[in-house]
Amino acid sequence: MIVMNKILSYIGLIVIGGLIISCSAKDDYQGLEYAPNMYHSVPYEPMTQITDKDAGNWVNSDSDIYGEYFNSNPNNPHMMNLRVPPANVVARTKNGYLPYRVPKDSIEYAGKYVKNPLDSTAEVLAQGKALFEIFCISCHGATGQGDGLVGQVMLGVPAYNVGRVKDLPEGWIFHTITWGRGRMYPLGPQIPIEKRWKIVRYVQTLQNQPN
Amino acid sequence: MLEDISCLLSRRGHKVLAFILFSGLFLSFSGISVYAQEAVDSTSTVSAAAPDDGLSIDPDIIGAGETLFNNYCKVCHAVDKQVIGPALAGVYERLDLPWLITFIQNSQKVIESGDAYAVQLYEQYNKTQMPSHDLSDDEVLAILSYVKDQTLNPPATAMDMAGAAGEAGAAPSGLSISSGFLIAAMVGLIIVLVLILIVLVMLVQTLTRFMKQKKGLDESELEVIEQRFNLAKLVRSPAFVGFVSFIFVAIMMKSVIDGLYSVGIQQDYSPTQPIAYSHKVHAGDYQIECEYCHTGVATSRQANIPSASVCMNCHSAIVKVTGADEPSEEIQKIYDAIENNRPIEWIRVHNLPDLAYFNHAQHYKVGNIECQDCHGPIETMEVVRQHSTLTMGWCIDCHRETIIQADNGYYDQLVELHKTVSKEDMVVADIGGLECSKCHY
Repeated sequence: MIVMNKILSYIGLIVIGGLIISCSAKDDYQGLEYAPNMYHSVPYEPMTQITDKDAGNWVNSDSDIYGEYFNSNPNNPHMMNLRVPPANVVARTKNGYLPYRVPKDSIEYAGKYVKNPLDSTAEVLAQGKALFEIFCISCHGATGQGDGLVGQVMLGVPAYNVGRVKDLPEGWIFHTITWGRGRMYPLGPQIPIEKRWKIVRYVQTLQNQPN
Repeated sequence: MLEDISCLLSRRGHKVLAFILFSGLFLSFSGISVYAQEAVDSTSTVSAAAPDDGLSIDPDIIGAGETLFNNYCKVCHAVDKQVIGPALAGVYERLDLPWLITFIQNSQKVIESGDAYAVQLYEQYNKTQMPSHDLSDDEVLAILSYVKDQTLNPPATAMDMAGAAGEAGAAPSGLSISSGFLIAAMVGLIIVLVLILIVLVMLVQTLTRFMKQKKGLDESELEVIEQRFNLAKLVRSPAFVGFVSFIFVAIMMKSVIDGLYSVGIQQDYSPTQPIAYSHKVHAGDYQIECEYCHTGVATSRQANIPSASVCMNCHSAIVKVTGADEPSEEIQKIYDAIENNRPIEWIRVHNLPDLAYFNHAQHYKVGNIECQDCHGPIETMEVVRQHSTLTMGWCIDCHRETIIQADNGYYDQLVELHKTVSKEDMVVADIGGLECSKCHY
């Protein structure tokens, strides 16, 4: 009898131990939360979206009809917290840059009339190089030869310093980054205007490198 | 008698020793041969003598053609793949040379002349105009010679080369080889130890048998010889029970304490994402910078999850996974998301509690901290896993140790001031990195 009790107590210990060990996160299981009310944001948060309206009902502390963890906006499309800004809204930028309004098909116009507001200083070139190495290098390669690791798979990436590409003006380059051209997709949404102009300055140095 | 024993021992011993050595050697060699990689030698096929079709096989002309092709054609054409214009493999057989020369020099004129093939091409490629090129007839012929050379001797594709480069790069670093070798060595060692054990048991048996044949042993000696190993008795002995109980309780205590500490920590959380996106392929194999997709990391509290349009920058053209023949189902999900105007619902991996504030830009831009310092070897992860504990202790440890990178001038005076009161470098903790309200408010 005593032996039985002992064995039972051992089994009990193992079960409790197993339960506690299973608190830690693994694969799809997020793990046990301590004080969950302090973990989940009450206001809407970017980059997080719990769309289950009953999530966290068991720790409800407020009077709304949703669970404590529900943090999506039920009135927005796909219950997202962010919405696309209304048409013609202009974002305020630090240096007062206005949106680039030349439409996609007017690259000839851009090449002729759109000019770089930034001078080719060492600082601008250094920043342009750093940006180039983030956004362009994958396809265009470190020296703009079109031999980046992705470019070798994408194909259709020109070298900067030969043929027609060598003589393309700054407005043309800016327009290409903004709207894309050929196989290149628009990078305007990813890179703010001032940074695009810095990249243009650096690309021009690559255009002028000897073959 | 002693001599007899030693003789017996040495004879048997030699054999056994030799056996052990051999098996050990064999194991280690087989281990090496398994992990040694044989170099793959690429043999290039030599083209047969071409019939005379007006195109040169002179390497100089082909070389000149390659340069011209790269300068004028490569933007829109490839030999083996359709890019913006059609693939050029075998174009010299599809069309005659004078037509090709006129078309390459001024395609618009040929289309306007109503040439059926040219008009069909123009319609097929979304009415994309091929710009006219200021090339002489000989230059066009050189380009076509290069195209023919490439058609007959297709080069190793970019991915093959990238793959080969990757393998070559991996070999010297030798992570997989060394760990594989280590396992082989361990297995070898264990087998050798088991063999030694068997040999020892055999030795004991032989010696016992030998001693039994001997006459005139006294009581105590006989007792030693007749001794049997009694398992039941050993298991019941208090020392054994005490030892086992101690081990059991210790392991249980350790598990319970570890388990309690893991409450609220989401280390190793690696949820299955709606698209099986691999950071290993994108950030590892293709070396795309983190900031290319996570654009907010230098300017915002959040690093940002890219929208499907960022995926399309490359996946407009890349529809297959490397080495696959069929378009990828996972990549198809991007197209579906764009078509239905429905965002991809990625699952957030790093969920810092709301009670703590963290800012990516501060750490990445000002602190010059690498992404990998906190997120671990992300460029090797097929599925992203929370690498660090993200506990307060973990934050504080780093704030105590990290020296201020005063390269932006902002902290210069503070560093000067710090030098007057302390010999230590100025760390984050010295400028309020341990203040509660820096992160909790």
